[in-house]
Amino acid sequence: MGCLGSLPDDFKKTMALLQIAEPGQSPQPHQRRLAVGIDLGTTNSLVAAVRSGLAEPLADDDGKVILPSAVRYHATSIEVGESAKSAAATDPFNTVLSVKRLMGRGIADVHQLGEQLPYRFVAGESHMPFIETVQGAKSPVEVSAEILKALRLRAEQTLGGELVGAVITVPAYFDDAQRQATKDAARLAGLTVLRLLNEPTAAAVAYGLDQKAEGVVAIYDLGGGTFDISILRLTGGVFEVLATGGDSALGGDDFDHAIADWIIQQAGISSDLDPATQRSLLQAACAAKEALTEADTAELSHGDWRAVLSREQFEALIEPMVARSLKACRRAVRDSGVELEEVSAVVMVGGSTRVPRVREAVGELFGRAPLTNIDPDQVVAIGAAIQADALAGNQRDDGEELLLLDVIPLSLGLETMGGLMEKVIPRNTTIPVARAQEFTTYKDGQTAMMIHVLQGERELIADCRSLARFELRGIPPMVAGAAKIRVTFQVDADGLLSVAARELSSGIESSIQVKPSYGLTDGEIARMLQDSFQNAGDDKAARVLREQQVDAQRLIEAVEGALEVDGERLLDAEEREVIELQVQELRELLAGGDGLAIERQTKRLSQVTDAFAARRLDSTVKAALAGRNLNEIEE
Amino acid sequence: MGNPCHFALFDLQPSFRLDLDQLAARYRELARQVHPDRFADAGEREQRLALERSACLNEAYQILKTPSQRARYLLAMRGPELPLEVTVQDPDFLLQQMQLREELEELQDDADLAGVAAFKRRLKTAQEALNERFAACWDDDARREEAERLMRRMQFLDKLSHEVRQLEERLDD
Repeated sequence: MGCLGSLPDDFKKTMALLQIAEPGQSPQPHQRRLAVGIDLGTTNSLVAAVRSGLAEPLADDDGKVILPSAVRYHATSIEVGESAKSAAATDPFNTVLSVKRLMGRGIADVHQLGEQLPYRFVAGESHMPFIETVQGAKSPVEVSAEILKALRLRAEQTLGGELVGAVITVPAYFDDAQRQATKDAARLAGLTVLRLLNEPTAAAVAYGLDQKAEGVVAIYDLGGGTFDISILRLTGGVFEVLATGGDSALGGDDFDHAIADWIIQQAGISSDLDPATQRSLLQAACAAKEALTEADTAELSHGDWRAVLSREQFEALIEPMVARSLKACRRAVRDSGVELEEVSAVVMVGGSTRVPRVREAVGELFGRAPLTNIDPDQVVAIGAAIQADALAGNQRDDGEELLLLDVIPLSLGLETMGGLMEKVIPRNTTIPVARAQEFTTYKDGQTAMMIHVLQGERELIADCRSLARFELRGIPPMVAGAAKIRVTFQVDADGLLSVAARELSSGIESSIQVKPSYGLTDGEIARMLQDSFQNAGDDKAARVLREQQVDAQRLIEAVEGALEVDGERLLDAEEREVIELQVQELRELLAGGDGLAIERQTKRLSQVTDAFAARRLDSTVKAALAGRNLNEIEE
Repeated sequence: MGNPCHFALFDLQPSFRLDLDQLAARYRELARQVHPDRFADAGEREQRLALERSACLNEAYQILKTPSQRARYLLAMRGPELPLEVTVQDPDFLLQQMQLREELEELQDDADLAGVAAFKRRLKTAQEALNERFAACWDDDARREEAERLMRRMQFLDKLSHEVRQLEERLDD
C-alpha cells in the first residue's frame, strides 16, 4: 500500500532530530475536538453535531439536512444527493440508489434481493458484487464512501475545522460483514470511526436524554431498507440494550416494490422491464405511498394506464411485511426477559414509520400509542452526534455521563462435525465479550484444524452466514481426541469479531481479525484508497497535496536551520553539497502540483539528512551529559 | 479462573441469594469505569485493556445474574472443577423431564398458546423451588452431592425453558 499522504516514520524521526535546536518551529495548531454523528441510511443520510450544547443535524447550502443516499457517476466527476437521485430513471446504470442493501453482501445474496436491481454487476477479487459504471467497476463500499465524503465535507465546512472522528450508525441487525463494510467505507472517505453505533440505540439516546426517560423502552426502527427492534432499559444515563432483533432486508423500499408489482399486474405490463421503466415505476410507487400517509387515495399512472390506489388496498399489499416486523418485535420482547406490559414507551424511528398502518399495528402490539415527537428521520443522527461528542472527550453540559451497553444481534459460532453450527456466543449477549470454547482433533496424528466462523441462529451451517475460515497448523501429532484446541471469540464495542485459536499443549497459536467472506480484500481496499487520491478534483486529493507541500516546506526550513547552526561543525563539504542539492530539488518541485513527486523527494531529503540529524542528536546528548546546553557548546 | 472472584468484583460475599437490583446497580457503576467508550481517546494499550476488562466484567455479571450459572460457579469455588457434561444419576427427575417434554410436544401439535403460557408458569414455579433448595444446601460440605444434583436440575430446566421459547417462536409463524 502506498504512503497515502502520511509520511513514513523515518521522516518524522528525522524531522524531530533536525528540530532539536529549533523547538517550536512547527507548532501543531491547536485542534478543536470536532466530532459528528452520521446516519448512513438506505434512502437518506444525515450528519449531526453537538454545537453549544445542542445536538442538531447540519444543513447544506440550501438549508436541507437530508442528503438522499444516491450516487451518480459521470465520466470525470461524481454527483451525490438530490440531483443524483432525480437522474435515477434517465441514467439507471450509473446512478446507484439504496446501496446500503448491498453492503457486506455476496452476489448470491444480491440476486435474492430481487431482480429489480437495474445494475450491471461484475465480480471482483473478493465475493463482493461490483457495479459497472461509466467510471469503471464500483463496489458498494466505494459508493457508500462517496455519501460519507459529501457529509464529511458538509460538516467540515459548517463546523469550520477538521473532524476528530465520527460515530456512524448501522442497523442493529447488521452482521459482521455488513459492519466491516461500513467501517471500510468510512476509511475510504477519510473519516476516523470513533464507534459504529446501532441505529435504535442512537435513537434511544436522543429520545432518552430529550425526555429524561427511565424504564424499559422499545425502539421500532423501520428505515428504507432495514428494520430493527431494540428493547432497552434506561437508568440514570445508562442505556442498556436487553435484546435486539430485526431484518436487515426489510424496509420502506419493499413497500414501493409492492406497489410497483401491483401496477405491473393491474396495467398488464410485462414484468421484464428495462431499468429506466423500473426506476420510474418505483418513483411513482414511492410518491403514492407518501401521498397515502395523508390522503385516502392516490392516483397512479403508467403510460396510458391510470388507476386509483386506496389506502386500504395499500395496507393489504404491505400487510405481510408489517406482520414480519411484528413477529421480530415479539421475539425481541421474549429475548429481553421483560413482559410486554413492562415496556413503558415505544419510540418510532425511520421514515417508513410515517405509514399510518405501521403506527397502528405497533400501537396494538404494545398496547400504547407509539411516540413520534422526535423527527423519525433525524433522531438517529442526533443520538449519534451526542455519543460522538462524548467519545471525542467533550464534557456534557448537564454533567451526566453517558454509558451505552449494546449487544450482538446474531449468535456467533463454529462449524463442528456433520456441518452443524455450535454457538460460542449467543445472540443478545452484552458487548464487549470474550468467550472461549475447547475442541479436539478427530483423527489420529491430525496436525491441522480448519476453523470456520459462522453467524446466525440456525443449526445447519448452510443456513448461517459464513464469516471466515482459517487454519490452525502445527498441532503436534497425537491420538484423536488428545489435542486441546481453545478457540476464543472476542467482540469489541463496535460489534466486530476477532477469533484466535490455540493448541494448549504446544502453545501453537493462530488468530485473525475476521475478514468477512463478503468483505473486500486488502488488495481491493488499497486500490480504492489509491483511486480516491488519484481522482482529479477530489477534495481529499487536494488536501493531501496541501499536506505534502506543508511537510516539504517544514523539512526544508528545518534542514536549512540545522545547516546554518551545525553545518560547519558536523558535515564535510561533500556531505553538505549533497544535502543542499536535494533541498534545491525539493524547493523546485514545491511550486508544482505533483504531490507524489513532492512526497518522494521529501523522503529522499529526509534520508540524506538522516546521518546529519543523528550526529546532531549525539552532540546534544553529549552536551546534556556534560551539564551544558546546546547554546553553550556553540559559543 | 485466574481472575479475582466474581463476587469480590461486585463487592459481594459469595452467596446464592443475591439482590439482583443491587447487582445490576453495581454492574452499571463498574461498567462506567471500564467501558471502552471511556478510552476512545487513549492509547492502543489502554483501549485493549478496557476491552478485556469490560469483557471480563460482562462475563462475571452474566454468571452471577443467572441462577444456574451462579450455582455452578459457587460449587466450583468450593470444590473440584465440575465437568460440563456428566451422566446424570437422577432417575426420578429424568422421568419427570421426559413427561414435561412430551407435554410440550402435544402443546405444539395443538398449537395451544394458552397451554404454553400455563406451562411457562409451572416451569417458573419449579425453577424457583429448585433455587430455594439449592440456597439451603450449597455451602454445607456434607450436602455437596445434593447441591450438585440440584445444580444439574437447574441446567435441565434452563434447557427446557429454552425449548419453550423456541416453541413459542414456531407457533408465532
